[in-house]
Amino acid sequence: MFSRRFYDFYTHPMDSITRFAYIAKKYGYSGIAVFNSPITKYIENKPENFSIYEGMEISCKPSMKDEIKKHKTNIILVRGGDEKQNRIALKNGIDILMQPIEFNHVLARIAYDNSIAIGFDIGCIIKYRGYDRVKTLRIMRTNLKYVRKYNLSMILTSNSYTCYDLRSPREMVALANLFGMTKEEAVDAMSTFPLEIVRRKSPSYVQEGVEII
Amino acid sequence: MKTLPSLREKKRYIVFETTPQLRIKRKELLAEILNSACSLFGDVGLSEMNLLLISYDGRYGIIRCALNKTQETRAVLACIHKIGEARVSILVLGISGTIKGAREKFIKNMLMREESSSS
Repeated sequence: MFSRRFYDFYTHPMDSITRFAYIAKKYGYSGIAVFNSPITKYIENKPENFSIYEGMEISCKPSMKDEIKKHKTNIILVRGGDEKQNRIALKNGIDILMQPIEFNHVLARIAYDNSIAIGFDIGCIIKYRGYDRVKTLRIMRTNLKYVRKYNLSMILTSNSYTCYDLRSPREMVALANLFGMTKEEAVDAMSTFPLEIVRRKSPSYVQEGVEII
Repeated sequence: MKTLPSLREKKRYIVFETTPQLRIKRKELLAEILNSACSLFGDVGLSEMNLLLISYDGRYGIIRCALNKTQETRAVLACIHKIGEARVSILVLGISGTIKGAREKFIKNMLMREESSSS
C-alpha cells in the first residue's frame, strides 16, 4: 500500500523551495504544490523523480471569476469560511475547498456536481493544542461524514511553511486516524485524488469523457 | 519480581529520527512527548500506551509502546512541533519487536548508508 506515490498539495515554503523539495523527497513524497509564489526559477534544481506544481490561493470576493480565468493552468484553492463564502467558491469552479467550517448537504451536492475536492488541514492538528484542536477535529469529523455520504474526493495536506512542519505520509495517516478516517481513505487522499486534479489541469484535458486523439 | 511469560505485556519499539534546529536534551524530549500524549489522549489513554523513552542520542531515538498502540504513538510523535525554543520534526524510521532488532535494522543501517554516501 505504501509503494504508491504521495503528494502534498498545500505548502508555502518561506525560504528555499529547492531545499524544501529535497526534504519532502526524503520524507517519502513524490511531489508538492507550492502556493502563491513563482516556481519557474526553482524547477531546474528540483530532485529527480520529483514534481513541483504551482498553485494559487484566492479569497472569496466578487472578482473571483476573473482571477480563476487568469490562472487557469494553476491549481486553485479557496480556504473555506462560512456557508455563504463556501457557496460562492463552489459555484465558481475551483479545484480544492480547504477546511470548510459550515458545510452541509446542499454544498456537498454542488461540490459533487463540479467535482471539487474537500481539503483536510492536518497542520492544524499539529500546531494547535487544547480547545482549538478540539474544534478543528470536530469540523473535520463533520466534513468527513459528508465526504463519505456524497462520495466526494478529499485531500490531506500539511499546510507547511518550513521543513519542520512537514510530516511523512505514514504519520499523516496516523493523524488522519484521529478524526475517524481509515487508512485506505487517507492513502487515497494523498495519492489518487491529487493525481486526478493534476490530470484535470493538464492542457490536453477538455472535459470528463472527452479526449483529444 | 518476574511475571509469568503468558502475563507479560507485549511491546513494540519505535525508532525515530529528529531534525532539531538546536541541540535538545533527552529530558526535554521526554517531557515534550509526555505533554503531547497527555493533551492528545488524556491520562487514561496514556496509561494504556505504556510509553517509555529507551534511548536518545541527539538524533536517533527509540521509544517503547504497547503492541496495539503503535498508530497512536505515531500520532503523538507527529504532534510534536516545538521543544523549548527549537523547532523540531520527528520522522519514524520503523517499528520492531525487540530493542536489538530496532538498533540493528534501522539505526545501524542508516549510519552505514550515510557513511557510504559520504565516502
